[in-house]
Parts: sequence; structure tokens; C-alpha cells
Amino acid sequence: MADTNTYDAIVVGSGISGGWAAMELCKAGLKTIVLERGRNVEHIKDYPTANLAPWQLLHRNRMTKKMKDDQHIQVRGFCNESNSHFFVNDKEHPYVQKKPYDWIRGYHVGGRSLMWGRQCYRWSDLDFEANAKDGHGVDWPIRYKDIDPWYSYVERFVGISGSIEGLPQLPDGDFLPPMQLNALEQHVSDSIKQKFSDGRRMIIGRVANLTKGWNGRGPCQYRNLCDRGCPFSGYFSSNSATLPAAAATGNLKVRPHSIGMEIIYDKEKRKAKGVRIIDELTKEVIEYYAKIIFLNASTLGSTAILLNSKSDVFPNGMGNASDQLGRNLMDHHYHVGAGGAYDGLSDKVIFGRRPNGIYVARFRNIDKKTNRSDYLRGFGYQGGASRSVNWNVEGIGTDLKEKMNGPGEWGFWLGSWGEQLPHPDNRVTLSATEKDKWGLPQLEIDCEWKENEIAMRKDMMNSAAEMLESGGLKNIYTFNDEKAYPGLCIHEMGTARMGNDPKTSVLNKWNQLHEVKNVFNTDGACMTSSACQNPSVTYMALTARAADYAVRELKKGNL
Amino acid sequence: MNRRELLKMVAAATGGVVIGGEFFLTGCSNPDAAATGAAFSTDNIAFLDEVAETIIPKTTTAGAKEAEVGKFMTVMVNDCYGEADQKTFKEGMKKLDDACNKMHGHSFMKADATHRKELLISLDKEAREYMKNKNQEDPNHYFQMMKQLTLLGYFTSKPGLEQNFNYKQVPGKYDGAVPYKKGDKLFV
Repeated sequence: MADTNTYDAIVVGSGISGGWAAMELCKAGLKTIVLERGRNVEHIKDYPTANLAPWQLLHRNRMTKKMKDDQHIQVRGFCNESNSHFFVNDKEHPYVQKKPYDWIRGYHVGGRSLMWGRQCYRWSDLDFEANAKDGHGVDWPIRYKDIDPWYSYVERFVGISGSIEGLPQLPDGDFLPPMQLNALEQHVSDSIKQKFSDGRRMIIGRVANLTKGWNGRGPCQYRNLCDRGCPFSGYFSSNSATLPAAAATGNLKVRPHSIGMEIIYDKEKRKAKGVRIIDELTKEVIEYYAKIIFLNASTLGSTAILLNSKSDVFPNGMGNASDQLGRNLMDHHYHVGAGGAYDGLSDKVIFGRRPNGIYVARFRNIDKKTNRSDYLRGFGYQGGASRSVNWNVEGIGTDLKEKMNGPGEWGFWLGSWGEQLPHPDNRVTLSATEKDKWGLPQLEIDCEWKENEIAMRKDMMNSAAEMLESGGLKNIYTFNDEKAYPGLCIHEMGTARMGNDPKTSVLNKWNQLHEVKNVFNTDGACMTSSACQNPSVTYMALTARAADYAVRELKKGNL
Repeated sequence: MNRRELLKMVAAATGGVVIGGEFFLTGCSNPDAAATGAAFSTDNIAFLDEVAETIIPKTTTAGAKEAEVGKFMTVMVNDCYGEADQKTFKEGMKKLDDACNKMHGHSFMKADATHRKELLISLDKEAREYMKNKNQEDPNHYFQMMKQLTLLGYFTSKPGLEQNFNYKQVPGKYDGAVPYKKGDKLFV
């Protein structure tokens, strides 16, 4: 029995970082099992809505009352009729909100790599040095030079389209050809370059959609239906890219319906020896054994497993001697910005549905000249311009119909994504009383935006309006949604941070638990700060780097 | 056209917020109203088809009836509207008929296209005024709902998209600055 349950490596989770861990370990020749808590989703075959036209969706992509009841938290994000099967049923997967927290999840093979926003931005030393400079959180144990080659390594496999800009705070990468700014975006981009002296730039988004065929996938067909799964493999997901590559080695086994309960610790060898799971369907408890374990169950999923891995050696959860496990939960704060309409360019329209927008790299607190006294760190912008059909019409009958067939005016929407400071009181713990239907303790989440985020939001909103004004937009409106709670941005990070000092951090510079060297965590939990860039490409780079280190250490007999 | 743009379009064309839009767009939960589907008869659907056809008539392109907007309205009211809006909508079908009797001396189904249009123009104005001035807790106007659902249903239907626009399920490319002159079919 033990034999069939023994592998060289276990990866818990099959999302964007778990897929990378599986592929790298399999390619290195390790027999690897991926334990995924949800059902299997096979690339293309299990994308039931991918090719449906608007009229083939019974509610034309609106959520019904029943969906909104079953998925009452998921619908606060971007869950709709065509993708709701990739988001959890909130009634089956409860958690305790000590303060409002929107935990948006996908429990299936591929995880949220199927529905992710696909924006990929490198971090720079502005980000890796931030904690050390202003004293919030602990210092990152790595710098840009440590991760730079690994960014290139993952970019070359993933296929990320983007433009070369030479911005120090947003390093260039190994990109596929960029997508195109549309007519109004180009105009506003030119205006910003001309009118702001602080070096801010509006560029095309860097996105994991393929602008040409790449590694047997794509190219993107400009349908903008990515979150249903892509039948053209036009964007990167575990399902379309890393898991098939891992499977091709012959070393991969994926076990769906396997909910990670805890990591099993061998007290004598002072190493982890395996993972105990509960089968989602049969509730059978099963143990799997391996020399190394990669924990990639998502930020909060991985931390929940570590917190639940209690023993007399680890009474407060595995690797938690520092009491930092569960602390410093971060997300990006957003739903703040501005929009407006544009009079000109009436002789231009758009063809195609570009699954991408614009990006404005951080331009605050990047040097002495741009320092702010009202808040620390910074934010970026995403959004874009569009020209829809003419909706500004009244009446009944033929007139109404004919007017609605023509183009309306151009509009621009600019939303901001801001950095959240690490704060020890923003934390998750295991509930002492509430359990899920598998008998596992529910997570209690206690997280809120604090002073720095709230102060930053004013500038995020006003600067958006200012940039649109500079581009000549009219009827500018601003927004600052106070009910965009932590979690909603689906960039949750922290709770098992990396650091140099085992007394103040959970993971070391190679993403190993300080206290258990054969356990690695490389999903969002490991993040020491949040920066303001979308984090997934950094998880992927850290995973590839840690897997390479793990394999080398294993060969040396150190693990 | 994405979901947000379509809702904005429908809201602007009907002079207000989209009823049930809080469900459609942000998906606020309304568990109290769950599973209280009000049944509609085939007569109801035929009636709603004619209302929709008056709002979006057949021209060189299909009208709302061909796009089966009547049936679409009942699906949306049953599955997506809250209880209060469901009641307003159902009572609204009778109110619309009563208004037709009052204006023209016969029921809506018996009215000709001119009478129907005349009635709906007046109801459209009435609904717009009412929605502008009503208190938040007052019920919505039934005609607001019918017009919104007609536009939503028609502009997401196969004939509505394929006959009025250059609709492409798989565009294959992106061009953000295509020359346009009046009369060109718009890409959606």
C-alpha cells in the first residue's frame, strides 16, 4: 500500500504556481503527484461554455437569483452565467469573516489560472527594497537580480505579449509582440507623455495572451472570452500549458478530489514525510509520501494546511515558531479611478475584442522628485478606451432601432490598483468552533484597509481624472468604492512570508520553511510585500526558482 | 459590446438604472426572492412579443418578435427579478392593456401597429417621468422593465446581432482604429 502512495515529490494544488511546480519537478525526472482538492478539468473538453454565442446563454450571461444565492460571495467578483462553474459554491465552502473579506475561489484542476486576468508585470527593486526602506514588514530575502533570470525563464514558456519601455520600476521582459493601443488610447498616451513631467507612461498591457503561435498554443483569436477556458489555447493556464508539459514527461500523476488536511511530520528525521488528504467525495483519509513537498494550494489554502499541521513539535502549526503564519495578509485595493467621454475620432471604430487594456506604471514615491507626504508606496492603472453602439437614444419603434445600430461616442475607463502595506493584525486563523463539511476547521479572516491605503485612494482617484483631462476627455466622473473589501481584487498575498530571519518569517530565500527544509511554499502566501503589480508572474518565477533549488539540493542529499 | 456597456446602453435608452441590474451586474444576493418563479402563459408570451415588436419592429432586419423577446422577458422575470419587481411586471401587463383600452377603446392585441406605437410612446414618457421622480422605495414602472428587457433581449439575440451589426464570434484580430463612415455596419 505504502508503495503506491509514495512519490519523489508532492505538489498540493494545481493552480498557476502548482502547475509550474509540477512541470519543473517532472521535467527534472521526479515522480510527482499533484493533489487537487476539486474536480478534474481537462483542457478544452471541460470548457462547456467556451463556444457559446450570447443568445445561447439562457440568461444572456446574467446571474440568476439562485446563482446569486449559492455564490453570494463569488458574484461580487466577475462570476457570471458563462463562467460560474469555475467558481465555488459559497454555501459548500464557508469561512468566517471577522471583517468583510471577499474570498474568490476556483476549486478544480487548474484553479484560478483558468479565470485569471492574465496581466503580467515584473517587480523591481523598488518593490523588493520597499519593506527595508520604510520599515513596514520585514526585508525581502531576495533582490531583483535573484529573480530576473527566472522571470525570463517563465516568460519564454508562458508567452507574454508586451512592449519594451525601459521603465526602471517596471522592468522589460522577454515579450511576444505587443497588442495595439486603440485610437483613443494612443491619443491619451501621447498627451500624458507630453503633459506630465514625472515620467509617467500609458502603455499597452502586458498579458499572457499569445499574439503569435507559441509552444504549440494559440494564437489568441480576440474573442475576449478567456474566463470560460480557451479552445484555441490562446492564453496561459495550468490546463493548457504546464500540466500537459508535465504529463508529457511520464512522471505526473494528478489526483483530483483530494483536499489537503495536513503535512505529516517525521520527528526523528526532522522532515516532512508526506501529506494527509481527505477525499472530497468519499471522505476517505489517505496519506501520500514524498521526499519533497510543494505547497501551492493558494495563499489562504496553503496557510490553512500549515496552520492545521499541528503536532507536539509544532503546537501552533507547522513552521510557525515565529508566530508569523497567518499574519500580514495583503491584497491590492481597487475599484477607484475615473472615466470620461471623448468628442473626437468619430471616423474611427474598433474591430475585435482585445482581451487586454492599458497599463500606467507606478509614478509616485519612485524617487525624491515624486515623493508624497500623505502615503507610502504607490499604485498603477489599468483600463482602456472603447466605442460602443449608440446608447444615448430615447423613444420607441424604427427610429430607436436605427439609432441604436450606429456608433456612440468614445469612452475611457481608468481604474487603479494600489499596494497594501503588510500589517501583522491583518491575519487569518483557524476557527476553534466552525468546521466545513469535511470536518476541517474553517478559516477566520480578519483584514481591513488601513490608513495608508485609504489616504492613497484619494490620489488614485484624482490622478486618474487628471490624466483623462490631459487627454481632452469630457464629462469626467470619479469613483472610490468603499465596499471593495480586501480579497475582491483576488490578489491575496502574504500569511507565510519569506525573510532572512526565522524569528520573524516563515520561509527562507528559497521558499523553504525555515523549520522544515523539505517543505516549499511558492504561491501568494510567500509574499513579503504586495507591490502594486499583478502578482502571478512573480509566483511563477519564484516557483521555477525554488523547484530548481529543490532538485539540486535533493541530488546533493540535503533534503 | 461587453456586459457593462450593454447595461449602460439599456439604462441610457430607457432613462434610468436597469431594473434587476443590481442582480445582472454586481449580483447582490437576494435570497428572499429566490425560487418564487411566477408562471407565464403562452398568451402572456404572445402579448409580450407584440409589446417588444412595437419597441423594436421588423424593418429590413428582424424585429423583437422574431428574436423571441417575449419568451426571454418571462425567463428573466422568473429567474432574475426580485419578488416585488416580478409582481410589478405581471400587474403591468394588465395595466398596459387597460391603458390601451382607455386610449383606443380596445385591447392591445386588437390594436393596429399605429395605435400600439402611440400607446407605447405615451407609456415610455410616463415611465421615464415616473422613474425620474420616484422615491427609492416606490415600485419600479412596469414599462421601464418591458423596454429594458426588450433591448437586452434583442441586442443579445442571434438575429439582433447578426442582422444589425458585423457580429463575429471569432474576430481573429484586433484593430483599434478602423475607418468608419455613416451606414457602415458596426463590429460587435
